[in-house]
Amino acid sequence: MKTLLFLLLTVLCSNAFSQSTISGKIIDQQGLPIMGASVYLKGTYDGTATSEDGTFTFETTATGLQTLIASSISFETYSKADDVTKLNTITIKLKDDVNTLDAVTVNAGTFNAGDNAKVTALKPLDIVTTAGALGDFVGALQTLPGTSNVAEDGRLFVRGGGAEETQIFVDGMRVFTPYSPSANNIPTRGRLSPFLFKGITFSTGGYSAEYGQALSSVLLLNSINEPQEEKTEISIMTVGLGLGNTQKWKKSSLSLNTSYINLTPYQKLYPDNNEWHKPVESVGGEAVYRYKFNNDGLLKVYGAYSSVDFDLTQEDINVADGIRFGLKNRNLYINSSYQDFLEKDWSIATGISFANDRSEIKYNNSDITDIENSAHLKIAFKKFFSSRYKLNFGTEYFATNFTENFEDSNFEDDYEFDNNIFSSFVETDIFFSKKLATKIGLRGEYSELLQEFNLSPRLSLAYKSGANSQFSLAYGEFFQNPKNDYLKYNSDFTAENTTHYIANYQYVKNKQIFRAEAYYKEYGDLVKYDTPFALPTSTYNNSGSGYAKGLDIFWRDNKSIKNTEYWMSYSYLDTERDYQNYPTNATPDFASKHNASLVVKRWIEDWKSQLGFSYNYSSGRKYTDPNLGGFLTEEAKSFNSLNANYAYLISPQKILYVSVSNVLGTKNVNGYQYANQTNTDGLFDRRTITPAADRFFFIGFFWTISDNKNDNQLDNL
Amino acid sequence: MKTVLLIATFIFTLSLSAQTPYEKGMNEAFALWEQQKNTEAVQLFERIASAETDNWLPPYYAGLIEIVSSFGLKDEALLNTKLTRAKEFLDNASEISENNPEIMITYALLNTAYIAFDGAKYGMTLSGENVAIYQKALAIAPSNPRVLLGKTEWDMGAAKFFGKSIAPYCEDVERAIVLFNEEEQTIPYYPYSGLERASEISANCKKETSPN
Repeated sequence: MKTLLFLLLTVLCSNAFSQSTISGKIIDQQGLPIMGASVYLKGTYDGTATSEDGTFTFETTATGLQTLIASSISFETYSKADDVTKLNTITIKLKDDVNTLDAVTVNAGTFNAGDNAKVTALKPLDIVTTAGALGDFVGALQTLPGTSNVAEDGRLFVRGGGAEETQIFVDGMRVFTPYSPSANNIPTRGRLSPFLFKGITFSTGGYSAEYGQALSSVLLLNSINEPQEEKTEISIMTVGLGLGNTQKWKKSSLSLNTSYINLTPYQKLYPDNNEWHKPVESVGGEAVYRYKFNNDGLLKVYGAYSSVDFDLTQEDINVADGIRFGLKNRNLYINSSYQDFLEKDWSIATGISFANDRSEIKYNNSDITDIENSAHLKIAFKKFFSSRYKLNFGTEYFATNFTENFEDSNFEDDYEFDNNIFSSFVETDIFFSKKLATKIGLRGEYSELLQEFNLSPRLSLAYKSGANSQFSLAYGEFFQNPKNDYLKYNSDFTAENTTHYIANYQYVKNKQIFRAEAYYKEYGDLVKYDTPFALPTSTYNNSGSGYAKGLDIFWRDNKSIKNTEYWMSYSYLDTERDYQNYPTNATPDFASKHNASLVVKRWIEDWKSQLGFSYNYSSGRKYTDPNLGGFLTEEAKSFNSLNANYAYLISPQKILYVSVSNVLGTKNVNGYQYANQTNTDGLFDRRTITPAADRFFFIGFFWTISDNKNDNQLDNL
Repeated sequence: MKTVLLIATFIFTLSLSAQTPYEKGMNEAFALWEQQKNTEAVQLFERIASAETDNWLPPYYAGLIEIVSSFGLKDEALLNTKLTRAKEFLDNASEISENNPEIMITYALLNTAYIAFDGAKYGMTLSGENVAIYQKALAIAPSNPRVLLGKTEWDMGAAKFFGKSIAPYCEDVERAIVLFNEEEQTIPYYPYSGLERASEISANCKKETSPN
């Protein structure tokens, strides 16, 4: 009996005497106590939560060297290994976790779209369901501030820059010919189909040192890593047909898309003001193959081929019969990229892109054949030293070979150039705290053609001023070789350059975003020539210069009105430049002082429909009236367009889509063309250049066949 | 005699309280969860997970509570922080127990929390992912009632949205109820729950599909 009691007591006592007390206090970087933080010894059951004053105390039976863990939501987890006897009355300072949504982001100049972004200006569906965008991602981006609406062109014009000042990259690799060719005064479309991408970053200035050869802007597209399922997609549209199929295997997947567009029936029904001999006919095919390697490696190979043919006669004030323009374009684009995570927090991204573009142009009696072969090779490494310090560096090579053959009844010549550029970049991201972060980069570029080396520093800084607001600043220097139109005739150039200064304020709260950004951009070494057009015989130099300054405002609200989302953009632009053959400083004819757009989308549950509207306004653009003298001094009338679209989900897999651009049929003016010679009254006659058609209708039926009965092509519209 | 009784009682109480630390911890964590002390429950499950490195249940529950308690949040930053943490717990659990259908469907629940917060932002990518998760889980465990119920609820939501009949899915709910009742509950702390939810849905089915 006694023995039993003794035994029991020993067991109880042995439990008691090996206990030690762990105690202390947990504070944040400001020294304020953190309540409710979890503190425990790793690998044991011993632990507790901190009380209101940040203190904690608990007992443990563990002995010797132990690891104390302290964690709290939105702080970095802390760990300390020490002998248990020493782990009392200690003070632990937790660092803010900088990877949370409410941490500061270095974002001056940048808009993000997609679901992986911290602040999303455009959601994935917006890219394709914005009225007037007609399924072209470029169209959707034109509703963001900083862009100028140039209705007859269709490309991106950013902050007083020409369209060629914006470069487009897919998975880090350059897209050399991103736009489909089109006739004069007819807007072009992006070649890439929007449903291939999961994230879009649109930078209107001050962008990362990883990107170069763009004076104004970069558009970065990330393709999807893995399609969700096998499916077949059929599209029947007023303008053509489309067919797509996706196959999935254990580690790989293949998506194929083909499209056939023929505008003949449409032109028959709704003739426009051009005389079409052969309306636009295009055949295109795209394939994406993705392969996942054992660990985290991912290989993506994207290939696209398209052919576009058309032939038309367009009115011209100086040519009674009009100008005949015919085009046969063949374009092949291949983009392969590989990314992988290596040991010790290193990662690698490498890739190669290649484009072959061949255009046969008939311009009245001249035949022009342009062949462009371009390639981009790149390798970049990233090292995560900690969540607060990252380093990114790499090197890349761009090669372009361009040849042109010009032939008419009395003249024939060939032009050719190689434009190869070698560049390297290094950039670091530093978070000083949850409130203050910076990105510092440097890029060096050597152009073999211009025999010139340029160094461009980039710097941005962001400070979080309140729970929902932040300020950011960016500065950068940017270089770009002169465009093909000049390089084919002359190579004695220096690179054109810009310097950006950007200040940004952003307020984000509960599905509402407000953004205001002021910028100043200085242009230097712009190409000038001394003839009405760039000709082989012109004299060229780099004496041009200019500036652009302005204010961009963006407001998006997904909250105030139920089932309705809307966003508004306003851009103010003041720009002048002296370049090309300008006799003086002037505002270029593609820049408008005020640009505004409003996009509204409403989901109507009872009709299973989404109704969308967009309204675009831009103030009049400059033109030259030779009757008044002066250069680009007159202002044309403003541009207004109200667009509507309607998507009806017949069943989860069948969608009917109707879209009308410029519903009100506003008579817009794209510009004026003046006669070369005066009439009998001594005046120059003029012709108003109007859009080819006031309205554009689009009706499509989209059908998805898959095992999953809920998937549809909403993302395809 | 008295002493013997006393000692016997003493020993009896001792053996009653002679739970393993695991059982003690789990019971306490479930009690905290029941009292809606979610943060404390998550913290305790996290501690248990740190001690029981080859048991998927503690990190699974830590993740599950984070997910369940993030429904209805209005602050996207907090939602993201909680769900990121939940994902870490689930990743930890599935490292211990690969291709576990219970963990897989909890990932689907995590996606649903994002979709419920903002369908336009997260729906396009995550809803497809969910369908794939349910298909894969069902292929692995065709007679797991929770997998069947989860998939059926997801499909029902879509059918209701398009004004389609939910009748075919109601049959699956009944099948899930049968599976729930047949299920042998042998593993302690295993997430066997779900029968109540199935019965609720079944009752709804009968209401909606009844001829009057």
